[in-house]
Amino acid sequence: MLKIRNLHARLADDGREILKGVDLAVGAGEVHAIMGPNGSGKSTLAAVLAGRDGYEVTCGTVRYFGRDLLAMPADERAREGLFLAFQYPVELPGVNNMYFLRTALNAGRRHRGEPELDAGQFLRAVRAKLKELDIGEDLLQRAVNVGFSGGEKKRNEIFQMAMLEPRLAILDETDSGLDIDALRIVASGVNRQRAPDRAIVMITHYQRLLDYVEPDRVHVLQDGYIVESGDKSLAIELERRGYGPVGDAA
Amino acid sequence: MSAIVDFPVKPEARPYLDSALGSAGEPDWLVRHRRRSLARFAEQGFPSRRGEAWRYLDLRPLEQSPLPPAAAGGRVSPAELDGIVFADAAYRLVLVDGWFAPELSTIAPLPAGIWFGSTMAALDARPELVRDALEISAIDGDRSFSALNGALFSDGFVLDVAAGVVLDRPIEIVHFASGAIPSSLHTRSLVALGVESRVRLVESFAGSGRYWRNDAVTLRLDAGAELDRVILIEEAADALHFGDVGAVLGKASRLDGFALLLGGRTVRHEVTVRSAGEGAHCGLYGAFLLADRQEANIVTTVEHLAERGETREIFKGVATGRAHGAFQGRITVRPAAQKADAHMLSRNLLLGAHAAIDTKPELEIFADDVKCSHGAAVGDLDEAALFYLLARGIPHDQARRILVEAFLREAVEIVEPTAVREHLLSRLTRRLAMLEE
Repeated sequence: MLKIRNLHARLADDGREILKGVDLAVGAGEVHAIMGPNGSGKSTLAAVLAGRDGYEVTCGTVRYFGRDLLAMPADERAREGLFLAFQYPVELPGVNNMYFLRTALNAGRRHRGEPELDAGQFLRAVRAKLKELDIGEDLLQRAVNVGFSGGEKKRNEIFQMAMLEPRLAILDETDSGLDIDALRIVASGVNRQRAPDRAIVMITHYQRLLDYVEPDRVHVLQDGYIVESGDKSLAIELERRGYGPVGDAA
Repeated sequence: MSAIVDFPVKPEARPYLDSALGSAGEPDWLVRHRRRSLARFAEQGFPSRRGEAWRYLDLRPLEQSPLPPAAAGGRVSPAELDGIVFADAAYRLVLVDGWFAPELSTIAPLPAGIWFGSTMAALDARPELVRDALEISAIDGDRSFSALNGALFSDGFVLDVAAGVVLDRPIEIVHFASGAIPSSLHTRSLVALGVESRVRLVESFAGSGRYWRNDAVTLRLDAGAELDRVILIEEAADALHFGDVGAVLGKASRLDGFALLLGGRTVRHEVTVRSAGEGAHCGLYGAFLLADRQEANIVTTVEHLAERGETREIFKGVATGRAHGAFQGRITVRPAAQKADAHMLSRNLLLGAHAAIDTKPELEIFADDVKCSHGAAVGDLDEAALFYLLARGIPHDQARRILVEAFLREAVEIVEPTAVREHLLSRLTRRLAMLEE
């Protein structure tokens, strides 16, 4: 589904190289965790995959279902089923949540040649998912993320993911800033999204989330490339020994 | 025919000197007032761009092709007002080309304590009130277009509300231009609210063809009175609109004004408030959306003269294409106006390399115990917000449109009651959709 080969990327404004040769392959139905210390390039990797401005890919390729992902604009990537759950979800004053989500959903449906949902159909679809994530219906009438607590914002990201049903979901530090109850809700929301035709990549600093969402593969990103990969036991080991200097891991 | 006059005349004023001054049978004081006003206009001519107050608008097209005052009798069918009118109005007064159109208006039966009608009718029903308002505003300075208005106004509306009277449903005034002949429309109106009375006004300006609207309104709020006034400017694409509002606020009175500028080639919306009574509240809000070669200029001047006055101003603007918007806001706090609390904010979106927005908030403070601030910003759409929409699959153009609409909707959200707010939002959405095509 996703094949990253020797990916190098730098910041467009000061030219600083952040990703220095990332290799990663994610197959359908798999859940991967990418761990690493602050500043290792985790969020940059998520941003580059989602197509955010401000980064230059200087080397390497990213294939998504065989297509060149980097050649697609951000909105097209999303319509092709790539979803990024933001580390810091953006507040959109004046944009109603329900309108926002229906517009996004219908953009994807149009792209796939499916009929658009009208307000009534959409509302029925929404209600079921809201319940699963323990989100009140009043959320729909509010402006996107405006006045939401940190936990509500993260839950809203997972709610959007549940509605948009992506093929590849990248969760950028979705666990950060959550108390244990919110973490459980978010984690069960993610677990419900596990499916044979869907891949999930969780970017996280801590092993905590992995107690609730069990990954198939764990990777350690350090200083711009993946220094170590393993199964879920690697996460437990990392928790014990911490992120050492590059090279020590072996 | 050329008028023979005994006062100096600026060349651009000359074409207006032959105009008939008012209608037959007007009281002597008004005839004198019109003559004085005309002389004042003739001496001053058009406002100069060299002065601060008019520096942002280009008046040359108006100088080059003068627009004579509109005659009465312009025809407008009720169907033409569809959409423009506010459906939930308690009363509606329609002015066509600046003349009262009784067949399109619904102004009776009025509750006790409210007088509402055309300015011409008020000359009979409320002569002192009208005379006071005209003669007082005539002395305040160098406003040449207001002087021309004083000389030439055809009609307008007067709302006189007695002490303690409260009307919750909005009163509507529709200013419509029939567009039959290129012309100037001069309207003069007055709102006088008695002690602790409360009303809401919705005024809309629209039309077709080429015209110059020169509208002047006086607002007088007695102690504890409350006025909510919403104006919606949807003038024709070729029209000029100069609106001049002068307000005097009594003790603990509340004025809240909202202006939505959507249509017109050149629009100037000026509000001058004398916050004269202790603890008066003045809220001035608004938004403009400009495209093509539209120009808009919002000018506010609030003068605090008494203690514990409060002023809130928030104006938002969007300019695309080759449009030019400008906000000039000034709050003055006089020495006696201790404990004034005044905030002014101007936020603007500049879309495209050829659009321009100027913003100039100013505070002038002569008292020492005050809380005053201002802020201004001009920028492009927020990159993080745009990416958030893109990352959800919303196509680029649609994402930009959603953010522009959200920016302006947020400005309108402040309007009460819901029915008026929804009316403004639907007009805004319609205008945005038109710009899409």
